[in-house]
Amino acid sequence: MVRTLRAFAGWRMGFAVTFGVGLFIANVIVTPSFVTGGQLAVSAGTLAPFALAAMASTPAFLSGGGGIDLSITPLMALSNIVLVTGLLGTTLGTPLLAIPLLLIMGALVGATNGIIIARFRFPPVIATLGMFFMLSGLDLALVPNPVTAPHAWIDSLADTIGPVPGALLTIGVPLLIWGVLRRTPLVSKILSVGDNAPASFSAGVNVDAVRILAYSIGGLLAALGGIALSGLIQSADTTSYTGYTVSALAAVALGGTNLAGGRGGLLPSAVGAVCIYLLDNLLTGLNVSSDYVQVAYGAVLVVAVVLGTAVINRSRAVLA
Amino acid sequence: MTPLATHEVSADTPTSQTDARTARAQGLRRLVDGTPVLQLVVLIIVFIIAATTISGFLSKSSIYSVLVLAAFLGIAAAGQTLVILIGGLDLSVASIISAADLVAPVLMGAHWSPGIAIPVVIIGGAAIGALNGFIVRRWRVSPLIVTLAMGGIVYGVALAGTDSGLKPGIMPEWLTRFSSPIGTTFGIGIPPVVIAWAVLAIVLGVVLHRTITGRRVYATGANQRAADLAGISTLRVWVGAFALSGAVAAATGVLLDGFISAASTGAGSPYMFTSLAAVVVGGTSLVGARGDYWRTVLGALILTLITTILIGHGAGEALEEAAYGFLILVFVGVYGRERRVRDQV
Repeated sequence: MVRTLRAFAGWRMGFAVTFGVGLFIANVIVTPSFVTGGQLAVSAGTLAPFALAAMASTPAFLSGGGGIDLSITPLMALSNIVLVTGLLGTTLGTPLLAIPLLLIMGALVGATNGIIIARFRFPPVIATLGMFFMLSGLDLALVPNPVTAPHAWIDSLADTIGPVPGALLTIGVPLLIWGVLRRTPLVSKILSVGDNAPASFSAGVNVDAVRILAYSIGGLLAALGGIALSGLIQSADTTSYTGYTVSALAAVALGGTNLAGGRGGLLPSAVGAVCIYLLDNLLTGLNVSSDYVQVAYGAVLVVAVVLGTAVINRSRAVLA
Repeated sequence: MTPLATHEVSADTPTSQTDARTARAQGLRRLVDGTPVLQLVVLIIVFIIAATTISGFLSKSSIYSVLVLAAFLGIAAAGQTLVILIGGLDLSVASIISAADLVAPVLMGAHWSPGIAIPVVIIGGAAIGALNGFIVRRWRVSPLIVTLAMGGIVYGVALAGTDSGLKPGIMPEWLTRFSSPIGTTFGIGIPPVVIAWAVLAIVLGVVLHRTITGRRVYATGANQRAADLAGISTLRVWVGAFALSGAVAAATGVLLDGFISAASTGAGSPYMFTSLAAVVVGGTSLVGARGDYWRTVLGALILTLITTILIGHGAGEALEEAAYGFLILVFVGVYGRERRVRDQV
């Protein structure tokens, strides 16, 4: 019994999973329609862009060195804008062409962040905050007013594709790919650089290349998040992402990813995002003002970060 | 051969030519690091651009407008300067400004005299900042995350408590005159807020360079562990620096109330990036312990002049933000870059 408890305390996602299950039960009690009446696909569609924002924020943290990517949310909006106003309705608008194009665009923006941070040694906060403002400026210049999307394949992303909820694809496929990559040196190099960059460098790892790769993966996931967002809001809108910036970081911290680098993954962040979504849903169901929902995000973020750091310090102490 | 070994060889056998070149580079480096000469040159250049391309820029009223706007930014960035000097970062500045901007008029409307309401708001800001500093230092958590989250909490509470700024409030007339570019100080034709900023700059400059408190701030930024071992309570330094940041942010919120003559939602949001930018453009290093508040004063003036030039030429918000982003990257490139991984081994 004690051993089971100890193993559970050592499980990084333990807190988030427990919290999530509790929130789910509370949600079912407050709004029973939450599980009945075929709402699940729609709920998952609402969750998908947010979960992807949290997942996209994760690789920058994993790669360490004070890593953070604040430019994820305006990049999602850019992907949404390019898809809705630039690609849909043209010959490039088919899923097989549009999706790869957007993913490449996202990865290139992420790589630019990575190069500024790794090669030119800018602090990640500054580099990505600068990118945040440049991208939001670009978003605003491209779409000063919201533009409605034409009916297209994106509609089913927030609903179902045949019998499968679209969100299962947008969230599930990257998780699956990451799970496979986890068994390869690629992800373990990111974690190794994040845990101790000088040691990884001494062991022959190309630290700069690994960090650039981490930011590129983040950018790619952000672009995917933009596609999921297009399915949800059915329009191109620059104001759609403002709520995600703090709550995506809260989801990462809640999931148990170490914000100083080296420990964590995409699945914990997705679980953290589910928790935040359930919390949001519960507070809305209880008619709590949206101002207090923001307060709740902030409080969850502080508590999760402090608890997370306390756990890490304890495990370090045990090792030493 | 490992990179480390290459370094040792080149350090042992320098040629005279590379020696002279590194000496010259080091001399330039020392000039740019030690004095704000780069900032002064940039300030003069942007001033000349503004004076020659914007008609009427040299009139007394428009110079005072620039100085008043620079004063808001400079005051808001005062605490941020100290926080960056000790190796932290405060992203709650914008939210605290917005919150104070909303709350102060409502408190004054609730039959509190301004003499009580305004200090209460400023002390409240200081308390929030102190909590930031305590959490960050006590549990060794990322200041970025904590201040961002705390900002969300504070602004959310302020919005809920003031019905999103719709609750009626009162603005004393003297506050409007205090923040106005056409205000006078004891009969002298200089806006009071500019005088207040100058006093703050002198006080902070003296504290940083001439007092034990200032020494403690630099020691903490240079090496936290060494400072702790030398008997400095770094926890107290962190709490103090963040408390100052919260207090000046709250004060800026109240001053903005006076400037606009009303509370407005999101009054502080432009300051999230610019309070950081003023410090960085001034040349205070994000690595910590290098820089001072007078540099931030120059940074605030440069940024305000650039905004004035962009607005004067009808550039939109998007271009303004892009210009800030670019400037920050340039100045961080000069001052705030991190060490190579191979030098950290």
